Amino acid sequence: MNTFTLKKNMIITPKELQKWINEGNDFTVIDVRPENQRNEFPMDGLDTIMSENGPIPNIEGLKVLVCQFGIVTEGMIIEQNLTDTFSLLGGAQAWNEFQSKMEDLSQWSRQTVLPEIGLDGQKRIMDATIAIIGMGGLGCPVAQALVTAGIGKLILVDGDIVELSNLHRQPLHGIDDVGTKKVQSAEKSLEKINSDTAIEIIDGYLDESNGLDIIQKSDVVIDATDNIKTRQLIDQFSKESNIPMIYGGLFRWEGQVAVLNVNGSPGYSDLFPDSPSGGDTCADAGVLGMLPGIIGNIQALEAIKLIVDIKPNLVGRLLIYDGKSHQTEIIEIG
Amino acid sequence: MKIKIKCFSQVKYAFGKDELKMELEAGTSTSELEKMIRAKAKGKLDDISLRVAVNQKYLPNEIELKDGDEVAFIPPVQGG
Repeated sequence: MNTFTLKKNMIITPKELQKWINEGNDFTVIDVRPENQRNEFPMDGLDTIMSENGPIPNIEGLKVLVCQFGIVTEGMIIEQNLTDTFSLLGGAQAWNEFQSKMEDLSQWSRQTVLPEIGLDGQKRIMDATIAIIGMGGLGCPVAQALVTAGIGKLILVDGDIVELSNLHRQPLHGIDDVGTKKVQSAEKSLEKINSDTAIEIIDGYLDESNGLDIIQKSDVVIDATDNIKTRQLIDQFSKESNIPMIYGGLFRWEGQVAVLNVNGSPGYSDLFPDSPSGGDTCADAGVLGMLPGIIGNIQALEAIKLIVDIKPNLVGRLLIYDGKSHQTEIIEIG
Repeated sequence: MKIKIKCFSQVKYAFGKDELKMELEAGTSTSELEKMIRAKAKGKLDDISLRVAVNQKYLPNEIELKDGDEVAFIPPVQGG
């Protein structure tokens, strides 16, 4: 255990701080930001004392330190070995958002601090619905990454039951889930990570009768299937509804990812036209669990980039990743 | 002319290599090269569809290859 591990009780969220204020608790809020930042982003509805560029004043009682994003103050508590002192998670950015919208986004402060995400990007993530077709090797890491990022809603589609041989590559399912439905097992694990994400489960396979309806309800559809026929169906409905499809596929040590059908960009039928015959499934060809973990996380990353509109991305391009050499090839599809 | 061939998934397993270097007659086309590759694989690629990319770009039609081209044969992969 390293000494820089922050104890949970040194962190306070905007919501918890508001509760302290409402309850009339006795504490001092210390704003450690430089003057220009304080003037540019004044803190709404909070009386603070300033402490710029120096040690934290020795004040009796509980103290709450505030910086812009809540990162500097966590460091100060550790470095100065401060006691009875809390760091405001997400800093002034999260506090002001909470004051104006009564929405506490401080849980995602480490990603909202990214200039490409920010609070607006986080809100887009929290408003988005993503359908994941297949809850196996790719579907598990995709769902886990999206729920962790705070996605608004997931639609999980799979009719399979969990088998013992799935567990090495499908981390949302545990030993006690063997014999149960994959969508139910996944839902149970995902709720533990972030109960704010709404999860709709469809205990069945995507087919001609339900595909369009599932995809039309989504902002993005993730192809996490293990067969080409379903990929072609997803492609067809993705084109029909103009909902982007994020393709992922695996063969042993190698994975492929492409972002397809974005406002008329190439689709799976351009990537592999006609009725392609391909290699075996993971069950037949063999795979280490880390490979779907990597490829699934790349699919989830591309989904977030589409939702927040971050470029460059894999629209119209095929990424091929080799887990042995770690070489990545990117091919322009057209 | 000298051509580099990048092998992916089943193509890689068919030859046991990530890359092949081939000396071809000038004017060889991509589809002629594909036939050579399939023959060289001795049946291991018979049931596999392949897409061809030259210099990291998919091609809508066959083209004549040039000296120094990098050709990739890409099969679809099923697993997920």
